[in-house]
Amino acid sequence: MGTGPVFFRAIRIEMPVPAVYRRLGFRTASTCVTAAQKAGIDQVLDEAASLVELQGSALIIPVRGRQGEETILQTGDVLKSAKLAKMLDDAGEVLFMGATAGQRIMEEIARDSSSENLSRAVLLDAVASEMTDKALDWISEYMGAVLRRTGKILTSRRFSAGYGDLGLENQKIMYERLRMAELGVVLTDSFILVPEKSVTAIAGIRGNVRQGT
Amino acid sequence: MKDRDGIRSRLASGLFILDGAAGTQLQARGMPSGACPELWCLENPEAVKAVHRDYLQAGADVVYTCTFGGNRFKLSEYGGANAFEVNRDLAILARQAVGDACLVAGDIGPTGRFIEPFGDIPFEEAVAAFKEQVRGLLEGGVDLFAIETMVDIQEARAALIAVRELTSAFTIVTMTFESSGRTLNGTDPLSALVTLQSLGADAVGCNCSTGPEEMIPLIRAMAPYARVPLVVKPNAGLPALVDGETVFPMSPDAFSGFGREFVSLGVNFLGGCCGTTPAHIRDLKEKTRGVPVKERGYAVSGTLSSSRKTVLLRQGGPLLIIGERINPTGKKDLQAELAQGRMALVKRFAQEQVRNGADLLDVNAGMPGIDEVGTLKEMVKVLSVSSDAPLCIDSPIPEAIEAALRIYPGRALINSISGEEGKLDKLLELASRYGAMFILLPLTGRKLPRKAHERQAIVEEVYERASRYGFTKDDIVVDALTMAVSADGSAALETLAATRWCAEVFGARTVLGLSNVSFGLPERKWINAAFLAMASAGGLTLAIANPMNEEFMHVKRASDVLLNRDPEARAYIAHVGKQQEGIVTQKGSSAQAVGQAATPLERVYGAVLDGSRGEIADLIEQALSGGVPCQKIIDEGMIPAIKEVGTRYEKKIYFLPQLIASAEAMKSGFEILEPLLKQEGGISARKGRVVLATVQGDIHDIGKNIVSLMLKNNGFDVIDLGKDVPHEDIVAAALRHKPHIIGLSALMTTTMVRMKEVVEEVRKRGITCPVLIGGAVVTKAFADTIGAHYARDGVEAVKIAQSLVEGARAIS
Repeated sequence: MGTGPVFFRAIRIEMPVPAVYRRLGFRTASTCVTAAQKAGIDQVLDEAASLVELQGSALIIPVRGRQGEETILQTGDVLKSAKLAKMLDDAGEVLFMGATAGQRIMEEIARDSSSENLSRAVLLDAVASEMTDKALDWISEYMGAVLRRTGKILTSRRFSAGYGDLGLENQKIMYERLRMAELGVVLTDSFILVPEKSVTAIAGIRGNVRQGT
Repeated sequence: MKDRDGIRSRLASGLFILDGAAGTQLQARGMPSGACPELWCLENPEAVKAVHRDYLQAGADVVYTCTFGGNRFKLSEYGGANAFEVNRDLAILARQAVGDACLVAGDIGPTGRFIEPFGDIPFEEAVAAFKEQVRGLLEGGVDLFAIETMVDIQEARAALIAVRELTSAFTIVTMTFESSGRTLNGTDPLSALVTLQSLGADAVGCNCSTGPEEMIPLIRAMAPYARVPLVVKPNAGLPALVDGETVFPMSPDAFSGFGREFVSLGVNFLGGCCGTTPAHIRDLKEKTRGVPVKERGYAVSGTLSSSRKTVLLRQGGPLLIIGERINPTGKKDLQAELAQGRMALVKRFAQEQVRNGADLLDVNAGMPGIDEVGTLKEMVKVLSVSSDAPLCIDSPIPEAIEAALRIYPGRALINSISGEEGKLDKLLELASRYGAMFILLPLTGRKLPRKAHERQAIVEEVYERASRYGFTKDDIVVDALTMAVSADGSAALETLAATRWCAEVFGARTVLGLSNVSFGLPERKWINAAFLAMASAGGLTLAIANPMNEEFMHVKRASDVLLNRDPEARAYIAHVGKQQEGIVTQKGSSAQAVGQAATPLERVYGAVLDGSRGEIADLIEQALSGGVPCQKIIDEGMIPAIKEVGTRYEKKIYFLPQLIASAEAMKSGFEILEPLLKQEGGISARKGRVVLATVQGDIHDIGKNIVSLMLKNNGFDVIDLGKDVPHEDIVAAALRHKPHIIGLSALMTTTMVRMKEVVEEVRKRGITCPVLIGGAVVTKAFADTIGAHYARDGVEAVKIAQSLVEGARAIS
């Protein structure tokens, strides 16, 4: 992947409105919303879309070796997780991905929370969360298409630091390799990414391409 | 036949068959997975020559050089070979393989990076990198160029500009569209076509990502507006994962079966991409042999594009609005921001104007004391990312216009080009080079043309000059000049006459900056609105205006209806209907909640139930005026309503935004009633006191804020310590405030362990009140292990808090 990560300065995706509604507890079978309430919610979702500034970065790193539950990367980084090691079992490389919704929407959420406009804050928060997740999907799809042309494929699953048995301290490796500081993201001493709607993930790269029939 | 004109004349009578996939062909000849194809081909020249020959023998009229990744960015992943030499040598190999039997296209693929403003690579760096390739390919003797598999329209532009600045060779540009119908970066086929054909691409189309069937709608979208030939190079179907390998399943027979359909849609270049083989190309050639090329006309229409949207300037269509607010003149806040290099207001003005009906955005950076060239360029970059509306570049400085046009990832409208000598040719050359449309201003820098016929003469003169640069009337918009009627009573009539002449006689689209007409008069909005209606009836296509002006936009929509530019008044009805629905529903909502015969108390209940925070003050006032005591409003109106909200939330009839809106309405009501209660000598009984915090290391607090609101609404005093709170501070607050409950929130598995520390510390200090915890990853089981209570959400938190406090009172 060259000498550094690929940066995506303007990831633009359609807002996943059904996912946002679901995150807020909407259930198709039971939840009732009046036309006025829906119009009000949709207006805020519209505003949220203009506040979210999705950016991301991606980096391919070759795997140097494996020792039990440790995957050792060419960079010298060691990822310790039995589940991750299993997923990367036949992967010759890993893909690091990171995405952030940016600072603007978080500032707006904080402003709404402190001015007691919490109903708007929860909508903005839900939009930021869903769109950050979708940004990772976008990066994954883009990198998958790039890799496919070279005869490789991405694992369908991905791992994030702090989930399963992949400790949160691995966030530091992801943060530094992805140079997320250049996306305006900060890593706290307790390995939390700030702005809080920022995520990282690891996928494996393997496989081959052939013609059918 | 090899030069641009030769290829164009061949296209008039026949198709070009392009080659198929190279990667899989090279792998079949031993290229290992993960190798750099360009370098491997140079090390194995006979293999790549064999691939080219196979495609020639299959019937390809054009073979692509094996230089898809031959740019410095891609080559640096494999040690950084010299891009010029790699491209030159691979072009020579292609020529050696096919001789003069077919054309050799210099293949330019993506860098694997995104180009500013969508990525980190500076635009000029991308152009320079592509120029290295182009020079090498020219030196190697290619006949034409093929820029392909582009996801990012800006990268496609950079490559096309690189080619155009070095050669006039025939250039194909194809982009890669997903099954959604857009590129991954959001560009739709029509916007790609408009941008690229106006920038000088000789043929435009699509390749890769999907099979032939999925490309048919893409070509259908492009064909009506394509002034250039169309290209398709599909994959051999959609890829499938079989035994851990990606397989392209489409057979040559199935693949080539789409050939005739593409030709009937007007495609002139057909080939194959991933998964295709010489057999696919051979079948394609056979199946399209003798099929007559479709004579494809195109819709006459001015077109402007952003990276994600095209606006058609249709004569007879609705009046289009160019939003005028992104202009620092008279706007101190915007001036201050631009002087500091900040763009927040630029973005906000863009979003507001589009939301209020602007179709295009005028962008102007003219103010004293700043670098207008640099600032305008930055504004264009920011707007390219933050808004879908195509841009109108507004500057009198040619260098500023050039900088903006070069970086803009779409087809822009230049505001404006006049007949003023000294600038005319320079601006026409710029507009031509970057494929922009322009607003033609009938001024010469000499006498101001007061009469319509004087303006008409200047329009014809300037157009004659513009036509020497290749412009047609589809590429211009005429501004007939709006003068103030306060200075000249016949000014509006002259403008209307000139506008009508442009539309009906000259045959060009028209624009006016309408508000100038009322300068110097009071109540300008009525003059402007009347002038708008008259100009619309006279054939006006575009208006430069402030879309935030409601009266103006209402008259615009009404004019569209009256002039039959809004079929069945759909847009008008939709807009008016939306406004009325908001009003009716707001008024009706509390009645809907409780039935039509609502008492004041019932309406207060309904307002809390509906979350109508804006209404509750008035409704409480009505109830108080009607003699309902404060306490009764609370006890029989608001509290039952919020309990019902909680019940509906638990049953998932309400979801979170409704719960919060109701809680906020309740809170607004309390803020009005509590002071009145105190005056009356009644004090609403507080149920208890809660110290609330998100634990140390955790910065998430929305859930905690929701709990805080719910508790306050239900009669609790809440001391909210905020987020990332060290346990010493929580303990100190507990010692100071002596709460009935300590509430803790954490969102992460790594921070929820702090809750245990807080509980231990609190007990060590002799604080015996219960601890209530919650958060996305917190569970009852965890709460049990640390000796705390657990609440799933705000509603449950209130119930548990109430029971804890009542339980404590019962004991004491």
